[in-house]
Order: sequence, then structure tokens, then C-alpha cells
Amino acid sequence: MSAISNLLVFAALAATMVLVWRQSWRARLRLFVLQSALLAALAVAIGALADRPTLVVLGVVFAVGKTWLIPRVIRRMALGIPLRPLAPGRSAGLRVLAAAALVVVAYVVMLPVTGAVAGGVPTRAAMPLAFAMVLIGLFVCVTGHDALGQVTGFLVLENGLFALALLATYGLPGIVEIGAFLEVLVFVLLLEGVLLEIRREHDSLDVERLGELRG
Amino acid sequence: MIVLLLAVPLVGAGILSRATGRLAGTVHGLTTACTLVIGLVVATVGVRGRVDTALDGFLRVDALAAWMIAVIVVVGALAATEAPRYALHDERRLYPLLHLMIFSMLLAVSTDDVGAMWVAVEGTTLASVFLVNFERTRASLEAAYKYLLICSVGIAIAFAGTVLVYYAEMVRQQTLAVHAPSALRWTTLVALAPALPSRVLEVAFVCLVVGYGTKAGLAPMHTWLPDAHSEAPAPVSALMSGVLLSVGVYAIARFKPIIDAAGGSGFAGRILLALGLLSLAVAAVFLWAPDNYKRMLAYSSVEHIGLVCLGLGFGGALGVAGALLHVANHGLAKSALFLLAGRIRAAYGTVELARVRGLLTALPFTGRAFVVALIALLGLPPFGLFTSEVMIVAAGIEQGHAWIAGATLVLLVLAFGGLLRAVHAMTLGAAPEVGAARGSWVTALPIVAALALLVLTGVAWPPGLGAALALAAQAVTR
Repeated sequence: MSAISNLLVFAALAATMVLVWRQSWRARLRLFVLQSALLAALAVAIGALADRPTLVVLGVVFAVGKTWLIPRVIRRMALGIPLRPLAPGRSAGLRVLAAAALVVVAYVVMLPVTGAVAGGVPTRAAMPLAFAMVLIGLFVCVTGHDALGQVTGFLVLENGLFALALLATYGLPGIVEIGAFLEVLVFVLLLEGVLLEIRREHDSLDVERLGELRG
Repeated sequence: MIVLLLAVPLVGAGILSRATGRLAGTVHGLTTACTLVIGLVVATVGVRGRVDTALDGFLRVDALAAWMIAVIVVVGALAATEAPRYALHDERRLYPLLHLMIFSMLLAVSTDDVGAMWVAVEGTTLASVFLVNFERTRASLEAAYKYLLICSVGIAIAFAGTVLVYYAEMVRQQTLAVHAPSALRWTTLVALAPALPSRVLEVAFVCLVVGYGTKAGLAPMHTWLPDAHSEAPAPVSALMSGVLLSVGVYAIARFKPIIDAAGGSGFAGRILLALGLLSLAVAAVFLWAPDNYKRMLAYSSVEHIGLVCLGLGFGGALGVAGALLHVANHGLAKSALFLLAGRIRAAYGTVELARVRGLLTALPFTGRAFVVALIALLGLPPFGLFTSEVMIVAAGIEQGHAWIAGATLVLLVLAFGGLLRAVHAMTLGAAPEVGAARGSWVTALPIVAALALLVLTGVAWPPGLGAALALAAQAVTR
């Protein structure tokens, strides 16, 4: 079980790295879908191997929500936005390097968690990888120049959390899991509402133009 | 009784999403009144030491939760009395969301399940996003976007913390994750805490403080707060500043005894002290150069939440009791101030500090009440904030943190000076002709009530308040 979980989470982390590297939102969205599919597979695999049918159901729901529903909403948000021409000299190399550094940070932070205590679930070895996804999502979110970039970062962060919860404790009790999933959906829908209004007002999703509130 | 307390605002919000006109006003009033009465009954039972549970232990009101419920329903009622002024054209947006927000806050404090608490705290963000953007201006839109994104990211990090706490419990139990319904209960965690791996819990606590601290408006995660609080309509600002921030602190306070018991030896306290002091410093600097009086009030919230954190960080019965009393005092004073700021804005048509002059002559009641409430906020006697601030600083000295207590005092004086300067500017000068609607005594009543309560918590503690605070503090200091 630990081999499968390590492999799937590692692949998801690799997808995250490519996502950091790519610039166009279409490519990023495809990578997000790939990452979500890998994590859905992780839920199904853990559910099947550890004999927990609820996790299989959760994986299926997760797959439908994150590879179909949320990308649909994001495409609707992005519709009609001209692709930003890249500023010359703004290279993705530095960002990828920063993301790689975050993986190391994740291992250091998680050292007392995975190392110090005996026991725990067999999947816990992959926990630092999931935590790295959380950190990289945060990084993408903070450094995003437009709303789409920030939302992508947030969604990667959420995926990392989902992976973390799966690996650490085989998911959380039902009510929390359902709650967390619904919140992501509501978040995306609310954000769509807010962003549509921003676009009407500013004719752009470039949050650097939002400069009314300072200080 | 707890179920009823949660059902009333939820059902009220449901009806209000369909109702318009006078019906909406009536249902809004009824929901508010029922929530207030039931909440106070639940709280009175709770602070006397009777632990009430419902739904098989899922809901649990101990003295600490009861104290928070009392603050939420009182501030909620205060904010609700002002809501009809703002609901004129859009009551189907304002009323239901307002009650939904109160519902999520009540759920967050009355559930025993830390997972459900997380869901409820995130629910407060989702319920209030459109309230921040109620006026649909460019600035309010921007504030709503910032609020939604920053708080969602923050709360996601709190989720990671919750997962790690659960992981620590699983490791201890060696049960390989059989999700027992009681596994994430606070009571279970507190009972198990001494045997949990402390290093895992320390990592978890950092995540929890960053996450819930974002909701609480602790520096450096406070950046969304001044925007959201100054752009939201007055009743919403009052609720957000008065209680929503404190709910974030409450979540942190629930986890603190678990970390402490696991052998963190003051780890949680040190983090809270650092963040509290930083919040105080950030606010004190800004309060010297405000350009907008609603933002000024918002930064003052960062200051007071920092103080509450310092109280929790100092710890001891005195520090925690002081922090809890400060939550109530700040809730009352700040919500009254935001409501009055809304009236000033309606009269002067601006939120710029420099354009508000001659407040006392232009708006005799609102102006005087604003000054009195600000005096309360500054922490002068006879108001409650004076008492709670003294308790917090005294706790610092008692627990051997004299340097931090000293720094707190210096920063408090700094913030005091900044606020005083602003009030001075607002009250002096020639009064412009403002089209102030003559308010009747009915509109004055909630504000006067809030100020009267502040005098009670300041110089004339009603019998039982001391005992109630001590009992509530036990939940954190155990």
C-alpha cells in the first residue's frame, strides 16, 4: 500500500511542479485536472486496499467535482480573457526552483511528524509530499498576478490538503469530509460571482489593477 | 435547548430568503429576539457550570462556549437593530445572510467536534462575502475578493492543523483510522492529550494558529481585515469586528490546552505572545495615520484581538479570564462604534477622517455616543475594557513576563494617543450643515444599552460574573 500511495502522490507532486512552470491558464487547468485524477485514484486505492468503502465513494465524488465541475466553472470564469503576453525576462525557472525548495522545507517540517513516532498508518511516508503540495499551492496563490493564478494556487493547496488527510488518517470522519468538499464548491461558485463583477467593473481579472484600498 | 438555539437563526434565514417588505422586517425582528432570549438562557445555564449536551454529544455547551454564545447573541442583536436602515432596497440579501452568519458562529462555538467547528468557521466566511460587497462599489468588490481568498487560504491551513491533530490521536490509539464519531471531539482530545506526541501537536498548532489567526485578524495575517471591515455595511462590520474575530480566537483557545497538556511546555503560549505583540505593534503604528474612520476602527480591532491573544498567551486563571472578559468588552464597544460610524457616514456622506468636523454640534446624540464609546475603547474607566486590560497586564506580570507586559503597556499608550488624536480632530471645528435625520429614543436605545453593559463589566460586576469567568477560563487552563 505504501508503494502505491508513494507513487501516486509523487506523480501528483510532479504535476504540481509542471503547473508551476507553465504559464498559460489552459495548460495549468489541464495539469490541475491530472493532479485531481491522481488523487482520486489515491482515495480509491486506499479505500480498496484498506477495505474502506466510504473512501472509494469519496474518491469518485472528488473525481467528478474536481475534474469536471470545477474546471467547467473556471473555464466559464476565464472565457474571453485575452492571454497575457509574458513579460520578457520573466522566467519560470526561478519559480520552479522555489517550488523545489518548498519540497525540502516540507520534509524538514514533517520530520517530527513522520519520524519521531512509531505507529500510524502505512501511507504516512508520503505525507511530506502532500504537505509540499500544500506549500506550493500557497506559493502559487501568493505570487499569482491575476485572479485565475491565485485561484489555481488555492485549488492546488486544497488538493494537497485532501492528499494529506488521506495519507495521515485515511480521510476524516464523514461530516468533515463532506463539509470540506462542499466548502470548496461554494468557494469556487462565490468566487465566480465576485470575479464576474470585477470583470464588469475593470474589464480584466488582473488583480494588480485593484488598487483602491491601500494602507 | 442548544438545538433550538441553532435552529432559530437557520429557519429565520430560510424564511427571510423568500420574504420581502414588512414581512421581512417582522421575521427579522422575531428571529433576532428569539435568538437573543434562547441564547441568553443557554448561556446562563452554561456559565453556572452545568455542561449541556445534545445530539449524542455533538453539541456541547460548557462555561467557555456559554460565554461566547452570550457575546454572540448580544452583539448579534445589537447589529440586527441597525440592519433595517440598510436593508431598504435589498432585504433579501442582507437579512438571510446576516442570520446565516450568526448561525455559523453559534455552531462554531457550541459544537464539541473540532472538525465541525472548522466547517462552521469557514461557513462564516462564505456567509459574509456578499455582505462585504453589499454596496457593490469597486472598493467593496475588491474588499470582498481579498476577504474570500485570504480567509479561505487561511482556513485551509487550519484544516491541515486539524488533520495533524487527528493523526496524532490515531498514532496514539494504534487503531489505524477507524473514524469513530467521537474521535475528533474536543472532550476526547483533551482527555487523551497528555499521551499524545507533543512534536506532532506543535506542528499542528502552528498550522492552527496561522489558519484561525487569519480569521481572527492577527498580524501578519490581518491584511484583509481593514478593507473588509471598512467596506461592509455598518451592522455587518459590527458583527465581524465584534464577534467574528473572537470566534477565530476561540478556536485557537480550544486547542491550547491540548498542546499544553501534551508537554509543549509553554510552546503555544510563546507563539500567542509573539503574534499578540506583533498585532498590537502593527495597529499602534497605523492608528497614528488613519485617513478613514472605519479603517481606524478596524485597525483598533487588530489591536484588541492582539490583546486577547496576549491574555491567552500569559495564561493562568487571571490571564484567560481577562482575555474572555476583553472579548465581551471589545465586542460591545466596537459594535456600538461601527453602528455609530455608519450613522456618521450617512450624515456626512464620507468616511474620510479629514472631512468630519464638528461632530458634537452636527449630530448631538450620535456624536456624544461616539465619543463616549471611543473613551470606552481607549480603555479608560469606568468602562469594562479598562478592567480587562488591567487583568491581562497583571497576568503578564504574575506569570513572569514582566518585559512583555511592559511592552504591551507602551504599545497600548501609543495606540491610545493615535485614537485620541483622531477623536480630537473629528469633534473640533465648525460643524457643516448635515442632513441628519432626527433619531428618536428608539434608535438610541441599543447604543445606550451597550454602553451601560460596559459600565457593568467595568465597575459594577453583577453577582456571578467573576465565578462565570473563572469557570470559563478553566476550560483553557486545565
